[in-house]
Amino acid sequence: MRKGFSVFIGVVFVALILAACSGNSDSAGNDVEIPEGATEVVMWNLFSGGDAEYMNDIVTEFNDSQEEYFVNNVQQEYEEYYTKLLTSVGSGKGPDLAIAHSHVLPELVTQGLVTNINDYAEDAGLNWDEFNQNVLDVTVYDGNNYAVPIDTHPEIMFINNNLVDEAGLLNDDGTPDFEKTPEGFVEFLTSLKESLPEDKMPFAFSSVGEDPYRIWWALYNQMGGENIVSGDMENPTYALDHEKATKAAKYLYDLYHTHEAIPLDLADFYSDFQSGNAALITTGVWATGIWETTEDLDFTPMPFPNIFGQDAAWASSHTFVLPYYDDADEDAQKGAVEFMKFATDNGADWARAGHIPAKDTVLESDEFKDMPYRSEYAEVANYVKYVDRTVHARGIQDIVVRNLDKYWAGDAAAEEVFSMIEQEVTDLIAE
Amino acid sequence: MKKQWIQDFRAIPFLLPFFIAYMIFTIFPIFKGLEMSLYDWTLVRKIEFVGLENYTKMFTDRHFWRTLWNTTFFVILTTPTMVLLALGLALLSNLNTKFKTFFRSSFFIPSILSVSVISFLMIFMLQPYNGLVNNIIQMIGIDAEPKWMADQGLAWVTIVVVTLWWTVGFNMILFLAGLQDIPHSLYEASEIDGASRWDMFKYITLPQLIPIGRVILLLQVLASYKVFAQILLITGGGPGGATRPLIQYIYEVGFNQNNLGYAATMSYALFFILLILSIIQLKSQRSGEN
Repeated sequence: MRKGFSVFIGVVFVALILAACSGNSDSAGNDVEIPEGATEVVMWNLFSGGDAEYMNDIVTEFNDSQEEYFVNNVQQEYEEYYTKLLTSVGSGKGPDLAIAHSHVLPELVTQGLVTNINDYAEDAGLNWDEFNQNVLDVTVYDGNNYAVPIDTHPEIMFINNNLVDEAGLLNDDGTPDFEKTPEGFVEFLTSLKESLPEDKMPFAFSSVGEDPYRIWWALYNQMGGENIVSGDMENPTYALDHEKATKAAKYLYDLYHTHEAIPLDLADFYSDFQSGNAALITTGVWATGIWETTEDLDFTPMPFPNIFGQDAAWASSHTFVLPYYDDADEDAQKGAVEFMKFATDNGADWARAGHIPAKDTVLESDEFKDMPYRSEYAEVANYVKYVDRTVHARGIQDIVVRNLDKYWAGDAAAEEVFSMIEQEVTDLIAE
Repeated sequence: MKKQWIQDFRAIPFLLPFFIAYMIFTIFPIFKGLEMSLYDWTLVRKIEFVGLENYTKMFTDRHFWRTLWNTTFFVILTTPTMVLLALGLALLSNLNTKFKTFFRSSFFIPSILSVSVISFLMIFMLQPYNGLVNNIIQMIGIDAEPKWMADQGLAWVTIVVVTLWWTVGFNMILFLAGLQDIPHSLYEASEIDGASRWDMFKYITLPQLIPIGRVILLLQVLASYKVFAQILLITGGGPGGATRPLIQYIYEVGFNQNNLGYAATMSYALFFILLILSIIQLKSQRSGEN
């Protein structure tokens, strides 16, 4: 009897397991209610913090504005976002609409993971002429539009008005008083250092990672340097101008080591500026949205100064893409492009996060002009320099950042660092 | 005979759930990985058979050797210190003092924290200019601003110390269990024979702890070769790749450079290193027992 019973228990147990495995997961995966008759457009986004909030507001606004489509906004973890996007679109299980950074577009386009949206855009009345052409260009491949730019987010400079004023370096019009030359900027920083109290720093900035790389990129481009690699997206050739690259890196190196304007290895340079302990910071425009809600922080944003002659700034863009599927749901795709139009038309909402909206028509609107701070740096959109258009963009960035870190830390000479970069990048693109 | 058969059969339903999960999530990926290592394989599965090309590439890849050395260096630094520290702490918490429970729990508590918690705690304490550690250093009159995470040498010190502090508790518990398994009669007998405390430690405690010591050594070597998360979070593999372990390189190749085939190849290299080390250790254990 007991034997029979335990066999029975075993069988029941297996049945339960099998049932659990095959059970449908609708209830777990989807907690939004799609309105009757509306086509669902699943959108993946990579935002967090303020960005996520503002994007969510735009989605809600869109969903309330019409009844045909319903955008289901799914927030994904940024760290693994592209891995997830590439694999799921590749296996036909991805979203109808996704957000991607401009530097990842070459990977998506060459692997056939995104749809050419020319026709849809025409149907939706999306007018490419309304966009800032410098920004729009980053989404055009072989004359076709593969993405809709939402914004551009360059690395810019912020000053703490009180501290710069205290040091006697603020003009009457609120701009910092320095000559836009390599020496002028250094002089400005050293006078700041001399005049500021001991516990305040002239320039809060990271000495590792992507931030110094971005300023290096801006300086390199200001000198007329253009690429790290150039030519074919999949098989590019190495094109870094070592003379300019070294000169740009040395300039930044001196700010850390020779002039000691930037303290080395700050753990959190954001909070140093935010708490009013630094006269200057360079970081992305997205900080505007954070600084402006910080109490007692009197600041002015401005483009990172052009000190080497040519206007240039590091930037990336958030863009909308339409993932490619053999059996794509055309209605959902239409809805996705409708949403792209809606979101870019309402770029002023997105500008709340600090980003520069991609449409010139938005930049010219009163709604945008009435927003504080944004207009101070909106012009940067006209001369942002995106990273090279190649499928290796992310790999190249890893290499350059890692090697530059050695230089900032004082562990290797600039010439050594760039010959390492040359070797590693050449190896990477040879694959 | 028949009874035994029924007995075995009835075990199947109970074993099956784990067996299925094990096959799907462990055994299948192992073979899939072997297949991938022979292909040019990207995240979206554009596949081209390249035979052993990934393997030949691996042998000439400086970064593979450099990061493998970094990982090995980490193993060399942490393994002996871990065993000694765990033994020391186990002996301390085995003493019959008022603080016995306090010792045991405070040594073990870090082990229950997740890697992100301990990493951010350490970054917070070790940051220059306003971190706790540097403030203490300056308070006792040393005028220095050590860069615990940005200096090549100190970055290793940081990672090793953090790892020891974080994981020593588990090994201490293993030693403690070993200590409590030693029959008390051995100590009593030696006391009668006039052995000193040092003699007891040398001739009873240490030899009795050798079996558990071997287990700890094996576990420690295997765990240390898999080091990744705390390095990624604390130094990011920096400064300039100086502390980048093999697994971080595998991760970067696979997911940032979109070359899963080559990443799988290097994972296999690591697998074989661990396999060989385990075999050597198990062999030496057996000969030791004989």
